[in-house]
Amino acid sequence: MWEIGGKKLNSRLLIGSALYPSPANMEESIKASGAQIVTVSLRRQNAGDQAGQNFWNIIKELNLEVLPNTAGSHSAKEAITTAQMAREVFNTNWIKLEVIGDQYNLQPDPFETVKAAEILIKEGFEVFPYTTDDLVVAKKLVDVGCKILMPWGSPIGSGQGLMNPLNLKAIREKFPDIQLIVDAGIGKPSDATQAMELGYDGVLLNSAIALAQDPVKMAEGFQYAVEAGHLGFQAGAMQKREFASPSTPTIGTPFWHQFD
Amino acid sequence: MIEIVVNGKKERMNACNIQELIEILGYHDNSFAVAINGTFVSLKKYEETMIKSDDEIEILAPMVGG
Repeated sequence: MWEIGGKKLNSRLLIGSALYPSPANMEESIKASGAQIVTVSLRRQNAGDQAGQNFWNIIKELNLEVLPNTAGSHSAKEAITTAQMAREVFNTNWIKLEVIGDQYNLQPDPFETVKAAEILIKEGFEVFPYTTDDLVVAKKLVDVGCKILMPWGSPIGSGQGLMNPLNLKAIREKFPDIQLIVDAGIGKPSDATQAMELGYDGVLLNSAIALAQDPVKMAEGFQYAVEAGHLGFQAGAMQKREFASPSTPTIGTPFWHQFD
Repeated sequence: MIEIVVNGKKERMNACNIQELIEILGYHDNSFAVAINGTFVSLKKYEETMIKSDDEIEILAPMVGG
């Protein structure tokens, strides 16, 4: 069990709901992942559009925690308005704050993100800010009241894994009491394990599962990967050595002789 | 009759407030939210929020997201 945003959960995997081959595959993949938090968005829809309503019905029936995002926002104002709209539609004060600053690599705009985070926290939101692995930006977000930080592993949807584990580790060490989630860039289960081994509290991903050849199987793989990494972190890894060291006892070795 | 922009599309409407607008457009359930000129309008303020020509209105509903 762990606690985030006032909720006690078992799974440390947060899963996205986009890009799956079909709604049925999305539903099965989310179930197979064991995730208890699913990200959703708000988009323009005409009255009577069934696609969005059908999607929302599936998500509601899964009975998970819903984390709406502000994807597509390019300013604090747009993100704040989207967050306020999401709070009413999804009936949650949780918001994945995404303010994009560059269309090429979808890098978050740190200035607008901090500005929006400060206002949203004052309005009672639990802000999950998508940020880079920049320690100073992380500090600014904590300074305005963020209790959760979501630094990227690498650009959204790139599947490049953790570009800069050193920076992610520094954020972990600097903020031991902040909930840290690697968001974006995860490509394969071992990337998630690596993030968890760094002591991160969770991993948020979408494309790595949805764009896999078999999303349902990959979702199950990620469930184990996140759990394995977390257990590994809790257990504490052995110290690396420069040279080999036998694990089988050397005393009583049969046919023993001294090597040159 | 006023000319407004709804979800990026120009519309000619005979509506005075948000409540009338969403009824004309046919939104029924509560799975949507409204913003006018970039500012959120909560459900309980639909009737008191007047609309005028050239207002830009966003009506957003749940969709997949990462």
